[in-house]
Amino acid sequence: MIKKKILAVLMLQCLWILAFGQNADPDFMSSIGKIYVVVTVIIAVFLGIVIFLIFLDRKLTKLEDQIKEHD
Amino acid sequence: MLRSNWWKLLAVLIILYTFLAGMLVPLKPGIVKVSPSSAHTGELIEMEVTGYNSNYLKAKDSLRAWLKLDNERALGASDLEVIDDRNLKIKFQIPEYLPADERIKDLTLILDNSKDGASFLPSAVFITQDSIDPDMGLKSWQNTSVENLNEKAGISFPFRNILKESIRNTYFHVSLWLSMVIIFIASVVYSIKYLRTNDVDSDLKALSLTRIGTIFGFLGLITGAIWAKNTWGAYWSWDVKQNMTAIALLIYCAYFVLRSSFEDPEKSARLGAVYNIFAFAALIPLIYVIPRLTDSLHPGAGGNPALGGEDLDNTMRMVFYPAVIGWTLFGLWMGSLWYRADRLEHKLNE
Repeated sequence: MIKKKILAVLMLQCLWILAFGQNADPDFMSSIGKIYVVVTVIIAVFLGIVIFLIFLDRKLTKLEDQIKEHD
Repeated sequence: MLRSNWWKLLAVLIILYTFLAGMLVPLKPGIVKVSPSSAHTGELIEMEVTGYNSNYLKAKDSLRAWLKLDNERALGASDLEVIDDRNLKIKFQIPEYLPADERIKDLTLILDNSKDGASFLPSAVFITQDSIDPDMGLKSWQNTSVENLNEKAGISFPFRNILKESIRNTYFHVSLWLSMVIIFIASVVYSIKYLRTNDVDSDLKALSLTRIGTIFGFLGLITGAIWAKNTWGAYWSWDVKQNMTAIALLIYCAYFVLRSSFEDPEKSARLGAVYNIFAFAALIPLIYVIPRLTDSLHPGAGGNPALGGEDLDNTMRMVFYPAVIGWTLFGLWMGSLWYRADRLEHKLNE
């Protein structure tokens, strides 16, 4: 349960930085030829893959529990 | 092990190539800013030019500058002063009359040197004519033709003033959308196969592929919003492209709701397969046809082709097309994992 809470807080933090971190200082996002826009986009794609892994993890845990009951 | 899994390795290698080439190839030198950006006829203007990735100091001797009026006429610089590699002062003598009958005319700034090649800034300066006389303008125009432009050596991505480095998002935003469409096509193929053969495995494959396609779609939407914030000024501009893709993704979300609302697995699979075909039939007009019919901020709409012109040159294609293949294979890998878990669950419940 605690693990889940930590995970949720971490995810929320990432989303927070993604959504509002760039609002804080628009000059930062447009510095060095807007390269940080690309960085943010890559982080977003990475988070998408992480969310996929979390769903798959939950699915496999469910399957393992079913197999345990089966035995 | 590697014999049957070679395509997964290929997916990783191609995406690695996309990251390396997509992030490390430099942009072409460009012009970021010009000030002042307006002048009157008859003035001697001194412009401060700010460059990007430029080498003004290193290629000082071969530096040339023009203000281009149209395809035949251009004004040469009367004086050039290099401050450093990124900053430049150029003087132009604007004639008393312009050979144009508009009151305000925009001129393109062209810079050229042996190291950077030619760089352009469209509508760099707006010239206001106090009195309009095209004939006088034609007579007094001293033309300096733009010729012998240099090419930059080595590979580089195009410099677009509003995008700058964020043009690299092409490999992480545009390619995800194309991969999504390919994955949805595969999903429709399996749905049709299920309807023809009643084979449960085909339905599970279609379901997993639709999941991955939807994840890619939402990633495309989020990455697009981040890019839009820094190019158009807002995450969501209620642009036709953004609205239609959001509707298309909601149609796909309804697919999962529809499937889970049936107790009977066979009924769920059958209706899911039929719905999937209709969802795909709605997707293509929503994301590719309707945005092209109206004006949109997004490239590839309102008549301007997205995969052409200066937004995607041949250097970018060398990264973009592998990126599409890489993300598609990666998506198939993700989908196959889910499919295998689904099949195990199905076998257990039998």
